Formats: sequence, C-alpha cells, structure tokens
Amino acid sequence: MLKILIPTLFLLPTTWLTSSKWLWPTALTQSMLIALGSITWLNNTTDTGWTALNSYIGTDPLSTPLLVLSCWLLPLMLLASQNHLSSEPMNRQRMYITLLATLQLFLILAFGATEMIMFYVMFEATLIPTLLVITRWGNQTERLNAGTYFLFYTLAGSLPLLVALLMLQNSTGTLSLLIIPYAKPLLLMPFGSKIWWAACMIAFLVKMPLYGMHLWLPKAHVEAPVAGSMVLAAVLLKLGGYGMMRLMIVLDPLSKEMVYPFIVLALWGVIMTGSICLRQTDLKSLIAYSSVSHMGLVAGGILIQTPWGFTGALILMIAHGLASSALFCLANTNYERTHSRTMLLARGLQIALPLMTTWWFIASLANLALPPLPNLMGELMILTSLFNWSAWTLVLTGIGTLITAAYSLYMFLMSQRGPLPQHMLALPPSYTREHLLMALHLIPLLLIILKPALLWGWFAC
Amino acid sequence: MADYREAPLATRPKTLDPNEYFNLSPDYRRAEAERAALRAGLKRQYQLQLNNPHRKELIEDPALNRWVYARANPYNHFKATKKTSLLGALFGVAPLFILYYVFKTDRVRLYRRTTYCQCIADQALDVG
Repeated sequence: MLKILIPTLFLLPTTWLTSSKWLWPTALTQSMLIALGSITWLNNTTDTGWTALNSYIGTDPLSTPLLVLSCWLLPLMLLASQNHLSSEPMNRQRMYITLLATLQLFLILAFGATEMIMFYVMFEATLIPTLLVITRWGNQTERLNAGTYFLFYTLAGSLPLLVALLMLQNSTGTLSLLIIPYAKPLLLMPFGSKIWWAACMIAFLVKMPLYGMHLWLPKAHVEAPVAGSMVLAAVLLKLGGYGMMRLMIVLDPLSKEMVYPFIVLALWGVIMTGSICLRQTDLKSLIAYSSVSHMGLVAGGILIQTPWGFTGALILMIAHGLASSALFCLANTNYERTHSRTMLLARGLQIALPLMTTWWFIASLANLALPPLPNLMGELMILTSLFNWSAWTLVLTGIGTLITAAYSLYMFLMSQRGPLPQHMLALPPSYTREHLLMALHLIPLLLIILKPALLWGWFAC
Repeated sequence: MADYREAPLATRPKTLDPNEYFNLSPDYRRAEAERAALRAGLKRQYQLQLNNPHRKELIEDPALNRWVYARANPYNHFKATKKTSLLGALFGVAPLFILYYVFKTDRVRLYRRTTYCQCIADQALDVG
C-alpha cells in the first residue's frame, strides 16, 4: 500500500518543483507508474482475502477493483485536461494538478480504509478538491450553483452517517471492517433502529445517487471541467456504492423491511432518468442522467443483498466508471472544438472526424451494455438477482434496458450521423493525445471481457 | 440598410409577388415588405459571418441559445397547474406507491410459500 501512497503523496512536491516545460510529462509519467503499480493489488492470494493489511489500511477483493480504477483514472484526467489548461498561468496549472492528486490520495485512503471513521473522513475529504475544481475551473456561471448543490446534498446526507457510526462504535467498541460483520446487532427501540438504518444508508444513497436525491448530479457533471466530470462519474459515485456494500453486512436484520422504498426509488429512477435522457439537448447532461440510470441499477443490486447482486453491482460500477468517463472525454473533444455542449451543433461528426467515430461507437455500445462487455455482465447479474428477489422487477429493468439502448444510440446517431452543420469551419483534427486518452479508457474495458473474475469481489468462484 | 436590394434571381414571397397580391390590402403588403426586409437583414448578417475568411468560431444563433436555455432550466419557470400536478402525481408519486405494494405482496407471497414448503418438508422428514 505504501508503494502507491508515497508516490501519490509525492506527486504534490513534483508538481510544484518541476520546471514548466516538464510539468505535464512528469505528472503524467508519475501517475501512470502509480496506476501500473496499483494493478498488482488485483492479485489476492491470501486465505482471508485481506491483502496489504495493517492497522489502518487494507485491500480486499471488494475494494481492489475500485482502487485500481481510481489510480488508473489520474493519468487519464491529466491527459484530458492538458489542452484546456494550457492557456492558464503556470501556478494555476500546478494548483489544478495538486487538487487532482490530493483527490486521488483521499480516494485511495477511502477505498483502502479498514476503519469506518477513516472511510467517513476520507469520504468527506474528497468533496473539497472536487468542489474547488468545479467552482474554480468550470466554464459557465451556473458552476457556483452546481458546487453548492453538490456540497450540501452530500454533506446533509452524511451528517446522520457520522452519528450512526459513532453509535455503532459505542456499542461494538470498534469500527474495523474486519470485525463488525461479527458484532452483535445494535439494540434500539424499533423506530430508533429504523432511523439508524436510514442514517447509515442515506449518505451513500445520495452519493450514488438514488433517484429522489439526484438533483446535484446533472448540475455538477455538466458544470465541471472534463477532469472533474471524469472523476465524479467514474469514482466518486462508486464511493457511495462501496460504502453501501460495506455497511450492509452490519445492518442485516433490519434491511429486510427497510429496503423496499429505496429499491422502488432506484428502479423507478432507472426508467425516469432514462426517459429524461431522450429529451436532453445538452450532451454532458445526457451522459450525467445516464450515470444516474446505471447507478439506480447498482443501488437496486446492492440493496437486495444477494451474492450475485453484489457481484453484478461491483462489475457494473467498474465498467460504468470506464465507459462513462470515456463518454465525458468524447463530449469534451466536442466542446473544445465548438465551445458548446448543444448536441444539435455538433452533428455529423463522422464525416469530419472519422477516427473519433470509432471511439464514440465503442463507448456508446459500452453504455448500452453490449455483450460481451462487462457492462452487460454487471447488468445481467443484477437483473437476474432482482428477478429472483421479485419477478415484477423484470418489467422495470426490462423497460430500463430498452430505454438505455435507445438513448445511447440516440447520442451516437445525433453526434456522428446526420448532416454536418454548414457553418463549422475550424475543426482541428483529432489529436493523438485524444486518441490515446480514449484508447486508455476503452482498451481496459475490452480486456476485462477476458477475465472479469478480477472484478467479482468476494464471491468469485 | 437603405441600399439593400434582393438578389436579381431570388424568388419573392407570395405576398410580394405582383401576380398574387391584388387581393391583399396595402397595409398587409406593407407589413409583408417590412418583414421581408427584416429577414433579408438577418440573412445578410449570417452570410457576412459565414463568408468571413478570418472567422474561427461557430456562428452564434440567439434563437438556438434561447431554446437550449429553455430546455435546460425548466424548474426556474415551473408553475403548479392542474396539468403539471396531475403529471407529477401520475409519474412521480403514484408509481412509487404502486410498486411498493406490488413488490411487498409478491415478496410476502414468496415468503409464505417458502416457509410453508419448508414446514411441509420438515413434517415429511419427521423433523422435530
């Protein structure tokens, strides 16, 4: 663990001490080496499952895929931001990279934490660099509103979590993730236990986001610069899913009754946000709502607490992280050329930028869960475990899959096919940097097809 | 714009076509001529920008901007009318209750069936 944490920590002096000519190559190389080093975590050989274990941090098959995803994402974020930051003064560029690196550090500590309070503190700490990136480097005036919504929704959801965790600590004496599965349940009055259950879960459900509490997400994703959108969609949403998976074990007997409203919200949210996607004019907004839709399925898979549900949720989280981040990068390539996010303005790009169309195609297919991509594997596992839970969910998830396919294809056809606008003159051809960025997103997604067992979590058989 | 004339081979709108307009009042014809002049002015502006060799950015369309703003900010101008309340209740509130009822009855039925089957199996095997 230290071989990843120390280089990430020292990325901060690196960004401030390198000369301006070598800043971006150095930051990229260091973060890429960290990412390659983090892949070694996928090798879980211990009997108990917990590797790299010490008093504070450890990795297990559940956190390892998410850790690798967040480490992998930092070089990609730096690659994506290079263009729009090149016109800023040097100190601001260094500040941006510093914020991304501190976010990375907090994410590694959050996913690797074995103590729930440490996870909670890191969960909250990730809000700060993200808020700074959104409000300082976003492009429209709405970014202030977006930052406020983002910060206050998550904070309001997570304060009850702090109280709930402290109550658990009081009763069990420890909050270590290795011990609390075996702790005796919290004995409260019936209504009190329900409130305690809700307090534990609401923070993560707001982060996921669940359909009723999702209003912060389209604003934050749309107003953030590309690296902010990437990290939000790919990793920060998964913090919510990860927290839920960890805490579900502790909450067990209560969950049988309490999950119903949330599963209903999650599944209905899949359909509602999918339908909203079909009516969006703003490309980034479409991708943001599609994230809500996929995360609704993940929430449904986690809340039913079955092995396949958890496995499907974990695979869908990783696959969606890569695919969604790829789509945001593609949307950014459009934005850098036309300075507008309106889909109508950037149509018919297959004629102008045919190589980028390949990446658009693969990313859209990944979004609509085409076999044999891991997106389908995750969705299918969640679908079947939900069907086993109750046969009627198939109606909702089936319609949801149909709408997902519809809006993914709509996005592809709207941006690539059709007539090229007559008045678009200066479309620089696709840079190699952009192709590299897309390749680094989608090639891991394609490689996961060959060995999805790496991402199955605790239930890999 | 006083020196603007339309292109020699351009077609005229119907109400300015001399073969058609004898049944129209002079006021209407004047209004149509003004509207045609406005349209021509906008078209000239667009063509100036379109054929400008030093232009690098997109031509801004204020109508498109207004439409995109309207599509992106529905909540600021939301009003609770009978139609919107009905739609909200139909798509936002009722499905939640209906789905809760459906899932709960289905799960209770499954639970009763599994415990019943377990009970029968236990009796059959003579488990205490």
